[in-house]
Amino acid sequence: MDTSKPGSNHETGHVFYGRGRSRYLFGNRIRAFFAYLVLLFFVVFAVGPVLYLISPALRDSISLFDYPPKLIPDDPTLDNFRFLFDSTRYLSWALNTIIFAAGTTIISLFTNVLAGYAFARLQFPGRNILFFLVLSTLMVPVAAVLAPTYLLVREIGELPIIGRPFFGLDTYLGLILPCTVSPLGVFMMRQFISTLPVGLYEAARIDGASEWRILFKIVLPLIKPALVVLGIFVFMITWANFLWPLVAASGDDYRVLTVGIASLKGQFVTHWGVLAAASLMTLIPVTIVFLFFQKWFVQASMAGALKQ
Amino acid sequence: MADSKDHVTNGVPTGQEAWAQLQLSLDQYRRMGNQYRLRTLKRASGFLAPYMILWLAFLAIPVGWAIFLSFNDDGVLAPRYWVGFENWARTFDDTELTQVVFNTSIFVVLAITIVFGLAIFLASLINNHRRGENFFKVTLYFPLLAPPILGAMIWHFMLHFDFGIVNLIKVGIFGGEGVNFLGKNPRAMGSIIAVEIWRGLGFWVLFYLAGLQSVPGELLEAAKLDGARSFRRFLRISVPVLRPLFLFALVIAIIMNFQLFDSVKILTDGGPRMGTATIVWFIYRRMFAFQDTGLAFAASVGLLIGTMLLTLAVFWLLRQRSKGET
Repeated sequence: MDTSKPGSNHETGHVFYGRGRSRYLFGNRIRAFFAYLVLLFFVVFAVGPVLYLISPALRDSISLFDYPPKLIPDDPTLDNFRFLFDSTRYLSWALNTIIFAAGTTIISLFTNVLAGYAFARLQFPGRNILFFLVLSTLMVPVAAVLAPTYLLVREIGELPIIGRPFFGLDTYLGLILPCTVSPLGVFMMRQFISTLPVGLYEAARIDGASEWRILFKIVLPLIKPALVVLGIFVFMITWANFLWPLVAASGDDYRVLTVGIASLKGQFVTHWGVLAAASLMTLIPVTIVFLFFQKWFVQASMAGALKQ
Repeated sequence: MADSKDHVTNGVPTGQEAWAQLQLSLDQYRRMGNQYRLRTLKRASGFLAPYMILWLAFLAIPVGWAIFLSFNDDGVLAPRYWVGFENWARTFDDTELTQVVFNTSIFVVLAITIVFGLAIFLASLINNHRRGENFFKVTLYFPLLAPPILGAMIWHFMLHFDFGIVNLIKVGIFGGEGVNFLGKNPRAMGSIIAVEIWRGLGFWVLFYLAGLQSVPGELLEAAKLDGARSFRRFLRISVPVLRPLFLFALVIAIIMNFQLFDSVKILTDGGPRMGTATIVWFIYRRMFAFQDTGLAFAASVGLLIGTMLLTLAVFWLLRQRSKGET
């Protein structure tokens, strides 16, 4: 290629003029066009299925099976939503889900911060061995300990004093406590607290502050962002949990949304319209919260994978 | 200047004597050390107790109990009884168990290959075309908001034989009959893979996008000046930088995907003819419906061991990574 002519050198990426330049820019534009086309296709793939729910949610279950099938309902109706509130216990499921997820989040944050602080800043015999033991259970699959945990909760529930109605199958604490034990939070908190400057603790200790005072007055305000990230992560994991509530709280009074919605899909007859309405109703509040706090959500889910 | 004799007579100890008084005997020293350790332990236990009690009760004991129960039969509804290694001996004979392990492995390989391929491709597209980056991030992440079980429900609507939009489009364009996605064998597994890709894609796009954006810009600039085309730059610079991240993600994804349950339970409940039954589905079914619990416990301990080995691999990879950085 003749590099003495301006604009003829494609390889170096310099600005060039004439026909070469317009061909270069044209090629770039085509490439960008196809890139955005592909990206938009996947945006439709990601959001489309949820938007499609609107159509069956606004029709009665029988008209869904009309032939030829239609996408837009002839006479949209809110009957499915009405049915959801009148004839199923949707509101009670939603309330149980909030109690379940919020309870798990609060207890997890509390225990994880304390344990993380101890592992990061306190000296005590056996610290490393204990931390290694805790960490070795980081990836224990829920399914592997499902039955023993179930048996344990069942047995504790039968004990006097600490058993029912406080703890056991079909109680809030029996549902919540086994979900608060993931070592991920302890690990995250330990890592985060140990990155704070040591001088802060030493200054506070010399001033005569107790460990508890240091934790609450100095450490907690500094790790607030990490707490929010961990909190969102735990909340999102918990309210999506299906397997544990399915076995531990199958009773009507303690059913959560995931189990409740699954129960709508009957063995023989399924009210598809109601199912669509329930799915939609469940996703709307989460979506609204997500749109306000997207950055935190993304950070939280990344923290789950990256900070291990 | 007074000499040392004067000090003794005045009743004030010399420097040496004072030092001797301050020193502890070996015995005293040991006792003080123990007291100190006890005090630190007492102080730490206040911080550790809330977590460690829960951990012991609901994680450590269940793990040990699961291992113990794998040498027993029954134990969920009926009382357990000891059978020794019988469950373990049966694991390789049971055709259902070998089938679910096979199914799950197929799922893991296919789902991860497709989702990682797509995610790296989309991440590099977003990375190269920065306009609208945030829009794509948010919309691709969106499916992750739905719990796995809701994702499965949503896809049940998409794939339904009578009113699923996929069939509407198929019939609209190509005519003919709709496709029965969930009732036939390879298609049912394909549908489950599609659901999991739908939920996982956004997360892995963001993951690799963060990785790509951590590739040093001056390296890419330098390669560009040296005349490397974009594909070559990707292959020779971005790929080596992303390699440790990729290995790490791979292990995590394998661990996660081996626990597939929710969408199988909703979409096919293991069918047709066990074609989509996974390991966790098998464990759940055996424990809470069929009551052949011994094998289920053996399977869960197998899952546990496999996961532990993979976790060790993660830590090893992380060590290698941090070694590489220093």
